[in-house]
Amino acid sequence: MVISHALGARIKRREDPRLITGRAIYVDDLNFAGMVHAVLIRSPHAHAKVQSIETSAARRASGVVAVWTGEDVSRRCGPLPIGPRIKDMKAPKRFPLVIDGIVRHVGDPVAVVVAASLEAAHDAAELVEVDYEPLVSVQNPETALAIDALLIHPDLGTNVCFRMTFGGGGIDAAFASAEVVVKTRIVQQRLIPAAMETRGVVAQHKGGELTVWTSTQIPHVVKTTLAETVRVPEHEIRVIAPEVGGGFGSKLDVYAEEALVAALALALGRPVKWIESRRENFIATVHGRGQIDDVELAAKRDGTVTGLRVRAIADLGAYSQLLTPGVPTNTGLMCCGCYRIPNVHAEVIGVFTNRTPTDAYRGAGRPEATFLIERVMDVLAAELKMDPAEVRRKNFIPAGAFPFKTPTGATYDSGNYETALEKALDRVNYTALRDEQAKRRQQKRYMGIGIASYVEITGLASAANLPGGNWESATVRVEPTGKITVLTGTSPHGQGEETTFAQIVSDRLGVSIEDVAVIHGDTRAVPYGVGTFGSRTTPVGGAAVYVAAEKVRDKATRIAAHLLEASHDDVTMNGARFLVKGSPDRAIDFKEVARMAYKAFKLPPGMEPGLEFLHFFTPKERVFPFGSHVCVVEIDPETGEVSFKRYVAVDDCGNILNPLLVAGQIHGGIVQGLAQAVYEGVEYDSEGQLLTALFTDYVVPDATQVPPFELDHTVTPSPHNPLGAKGVGEAGTIGATPAVVNAILDALAPFGVKHLDMPITPRKIWAAMQSGL
Amino acid sequence: MKVEGTYTLPASRQEVWELLNDPNVLAKATPGIKQLDPQGDDTFKAIIEVGVGPVKGAYVGQVSIADKVPPERMTLKIEGGGRPGTIKATGELRLEEQDGKTVVAYSGDAQVTGLIASVGHRLISGVAKQMVGEFFRALEKELERR
Repeated sequence: MVISHALGARIKRREDPRLITGRAIYVDDLNFAGMVHAVLIRSPHAHAKVQSIETSAARRASGVVAVWTGEDVSRRCGPLPIGPRIKDMKAPKRFPLVIDGIVRHVGDPVAVVVAASLEAAHDAAELVEVDYEPLVSVQNPETALAIDALLIHPDLGTNVCFRMTFGGGGIDAAFASAEVVVKTRIVQQRLIPAAMETRGVVAQHKGGELTVWTSTQIPHVVKTTLAETVRVPEHEIRVIAPEVGGGFGSKLDVYAEEALVAALALALGRPVKWIESRRENFIATVHGRGQIDDVELAAKRDGTVTGLRVRAIADLGAYSQLLTPGVPTNTGLMCCGCYRIPNVHAEVIGVFTNRTPTDAYRGAGRPEATFLIERVMDVLAAELKMDPAEVRRKNFIPAGAFPFKTPTGATYDSGNYETALEKALDRVNYTALRDEQAKRRQQKRYMGIGIASYVEITGLASAANLPGGNWESATVRVEPTGKITVLTGTSPHGQGEETTFAQIVSDRLGVSIEDVAVIHGDTRAVPYGVGTFGSRTTPVGGAAVYVAAEKVRDKATRIAAHLLEASHDDVTMNGARFLVKGSPDRAIDFKEVARMAYKAFKLPPGMEPGLEFLHFFTPKERVFPFGSHVCVVEIDPETGEVSFKRYVAVDDCGNILNPLLVAGQIHGGIVQGLAQAVYEGVEYDSEGQLLTALFTDYVVPDATQVPPFELDHTVTPSPHNPLGAKGVGEAGTIGATPAVVNAILDALAPFGVKHLDMPITPRKIWAAMQSGL
Repeated sequence: MKVEGTYTLPASRQEVWELLNDPNVLAKATPGIKQLDPQGDDTFKAIIEVGVGPVKGAYVGQVSIADKVPPERMTLKIEGGGRPGTIKATGELRLEEQDGKTVVAYSGDAQVTGLIASVGHRLISGVAKQMVGEFFRALEKELERR
């Protein structure tokens, strides 16, 4: 691909003016005549038996049109999807409301009240009396694994959802012959995705069509699922994702409320609205991460890694949602990181607990993999008293070794890991920085330098239960006036493809970006698509647009040649104009070609009228972006407070379509990754009550709590799509967490501190400095 | 959540015991109590209004007295629920006479759910201690009045 004036340009996001001036339409902005409002009644217990639900007072309350419990749901709704089909996986059925009389996490819904106003629904919800008999709950995933553990789903006979192993080589021999073995135990705490817009659903059944507006990343998947769950033929369902205010994976799901609100609209014959409160968002929308990893590295004294052993226990929460088991399995797949490790054994165990289900969250299993390998590389460096950069250099997969197949089964498409690291180290002037660190330590000032080199997967193959695979659709439709409509199966919630996809079309067809509209999120308007997740928008969705635009260009060139009475091979495109080689006066505008494509009286023989192509793009393989982040911190020994001195990120996402958008994605990603390191963390009490249930207790950082970022890139195009691009939506998150934690632990080395659990708060640092952990 | 401590009341153990077993006194002395209806067998239906930081609301529930050993000790059991969540608590009171005064040693444990647990958790111990203090001061006033 040749980067043109349109592709690769710093163009501001076209969607932003409407977003920042309050003119965008979100689910909660929709109001219809006769619309009623739903409020869910959720379990306050982590595990309890529902003895009775008394609804008569609520039914009689003013304005109430319906009160449903599990019984009503079991008559009307089939089960919701439960994760990809992993071999020997065991997962319970789940329904829009609890139907078996057992609640399994705080927030599990038991009833819904529907009333003419939201206030009436809330008032009536208070009249619903649910009698719970609390049961002992299982909070710790390791406890859940024990043979005599209390069973959360007795029908399954186990709390283990799945066990999966990855790896190859001879792991036992590698450890037996190792000159040095290091171990670490890592808790990757649960995180709350906390999208700015909470979830929300409006459903209406009118004129033989069920329309569902939902704040989702995957409208087509929701449509197909709803057809099965609420039993409406799929061609009578339309799902619309209007403006979506962030998702980070938490809206890559098919939720109970989507089916419930649809079923209510069908039963009541009125439009029904449900908007998730922030508190519900914290307990009823999936959490991310939640993994306990035991990691061991076998190495030679010179720093060469010879073996990696991982045991990852994933806290799945109470149910398997759409992709729940697919998240920790990514950790197994990607645990080798950027390194050539000949002998690997990774066991991933997914375990049910009495907590909110976990599922995809920005990075989905790859941040966990990167964190564990990047931490243990630093542990090895410390053990060998080697420079952490040197240990990495020693083990990087060399640039000449791609495509590279890891023992865990991933085939990295392209990479140049050492170059990215060197670029980041140069940027911070690494050698001088290490000297400065030594000098400062003499003055009892504690600077730390943290390195993280990552490789991750984008354009994820989707799971067996998704109707689509790892493909995406795009339609490029040239209107008779030469303006262009692009229909994409991806469904943005911050990705900015109204800008980047227009750039692709502008590049291919010479039209200006203003002449291209990008339409998404409406299953009636857009051909079947897979959706937006796993940083697939550009490498898969963008590639589909590219190919569809190429097909348009080819047809337009043929029409132009016919009109110009020239041979097809002699016609070239220059901007939005077709020229005949060698005869500069013979030319025709793209706009005129578009008009003639529809007038259709002078087309080449046998050619269909119109100028529109639909392309389903399937990449040959997944693509693997990479990079190195370097974080420099200083710790105040009086307070344990961390101040960020530098943050350098060198990311390689192949060809860059728009540097401004890439920077925006990396900025946001780093903030979320850094937040896991030092700010965010879900906490439950021993009974399974969520203690971090509001933004007062759950620290999502604001702009004053993060450092300025210095971004740079290397460019290693992917061979697997015509754009040569790799996704960049999650890279920042993946690189940041280990870079920050490694920096903090490097700063604390003089105190003998070897490990701290995230989030690493000033209090933990201060305590560790006193005792040396 | 656990609460424990002692409070000294200027009265004999018998007097304190009688006070603690008088529903009218309990209704007056317990902070936030809106209603206390005897149901027989040392069991009362109660409505209590409590505010823990931003979480305010009324609990409807049952208070019962068990394991009575007059005038030495008793166990209080409280179970209730309301808009802010549910509460289940047991508390033991031990009475000991010292120099004509009575030292009441109390220890309690409570399990809370809902908003009060998730939002009020950092404040709840403080609120409980404060409520216990208010309760005993009200008992003290009642003794002075008698």
